[in-house]
Order: sequence, then C-alpha cells, then structure tokens
Amino acid sequence: MIKIQKEDFNSDEEIYKIKKLHSNIGAVTSFIGYVRDKNNNQNVQSINLEVYKDMAYKQFKKIIDEANLKWKLIDSLIIHRFGTLTVNSKIVLVTCFSQHRKDSFESCNYIMDYLKKDAPFWKNEFYKNKNEWLINSI
Amino acid sequence: MKIIYFAWIKDITNFHEEPLDSNKIKNLDNLKKYIISKYPNLKKHLDEEILRFAVNQEYVVENIELNKDDEIAVFPPVSGG
Repeated sequence: MIKIQKEDFNSDEEIYKIKKLHSNIGAVTSFIGYVRDKNNNQNVQSINLEVYKDMAYKQFKKIIDEANLKWKLIDSLIIHRFGTLTVNSKIVLVTCFSQHRKDSFESCNYIMDYLKKDAPFWKNEFYKNKNEWLINSI
Repeated sequence: MKIIYFAWIKDITNFHEEPLDSNKIKNLDNLKKYIISKYPNLKKHLDEEILRFAVNQEYVVENIELNKDDEIAVFPPVSGG
C-alpha cells in the first residue's frame, strides 16, 4: 500500500488495517520520520515538502517490488506526507510485514535508504527569519 | 513534450511547467543545451552535476532520445523521508 498525502495519519490504525488481513504475519517493523525542532544549529518552525507525485508513486512501487524479490514480505506500507508540516509532525511511515523479524527489519531499512536517496521529495525548511532547501545526507 | 521543474530550480526558471518543441529537442543533450540557454543561471548547477533528470518518471543519466509525448523533469538532489 502506497499513500502520498497532505493529511496526518494514525500509524497504529494504518498498520492494523494491514495486519488484520494476514494472520500469518509474525513480524512488523516500522520507521516513522518526524519534523524535529532543530537542524543545522537553527530553530526550525516548519517545513514545506514538495513532491513529484507521479514519479514518487512509480518509484515507491518499484522499490517495494525490489524488496519483495530480496526478502519474504507478506505486505508493506509507505505513507509519505507533503505540504506544510510543523515541528513534531509525522513526515513518513514505512512498515514491512513478514513471518520473521529479519525480513521485516532488513526490508524496512532498505526501503528507507532508497527513500532518502532517490524518492522525489524536497524539504524547504523554515526558521524565524529565513528558509533553506535541504539535501539529504545518505 | 513538456518539462517540469521542482524545488529551487523553479526559483530560477520562474515556471513549474512549460511545453517543449519536440521538433527541436530530440535527446537529453539537446534538452540540457536548451535549458541553459534559456536559463543561464542553471549552467553552474548542470556543470556541478547538481541537476537530476527524469523522463516519464524514471531517472535518466544517459543521453537518451526524447519523444513528443515525454514528460521530462528537472530537479535538485532529493530530501524526503
């Protein structure tokens, strides 16, 4: 399941919606990314996240397909937000569902590494008197 | 054929999207020449390999041929997640 949305989401509910479909799931690994209050020694007020939506969907699907070839996954979930997000807001949720923990841990990490490196999103970070476009450090 | 710009690239081009003449732009090298002649401030970012290119939502590095229905995107390094 891939969702690219402005709205906030409830991580537990989103994970449960998938978990309840598969009683063979024994392991669930999640990563949640948040907007934090400090970055590069500056006080962050908010971020504006821009997305190339068509490409993000296509690339997320591709990375999930790749993860499915490398690990035994039962299901997977990516939710990535865009628009204006204030400090403490959730930015992204990646959850991998498998029978055993190694598959869910490793695939979740793999998807996040891809997401930081190649997913077409751009953060414009706002401080008190200025703003700055960020580049991910890998 | 159209080109879409993202993030701070838009501050240079002042456009999010513009149509391209597919009779003049046949491949990615043509496209690179076109954008730096139209937006000279993009040249240093192209020279420093800051610009990323996607054709039909796939990353492209090689000088591929472009077709009239292609959607080309130009953007800086990403910062999602």
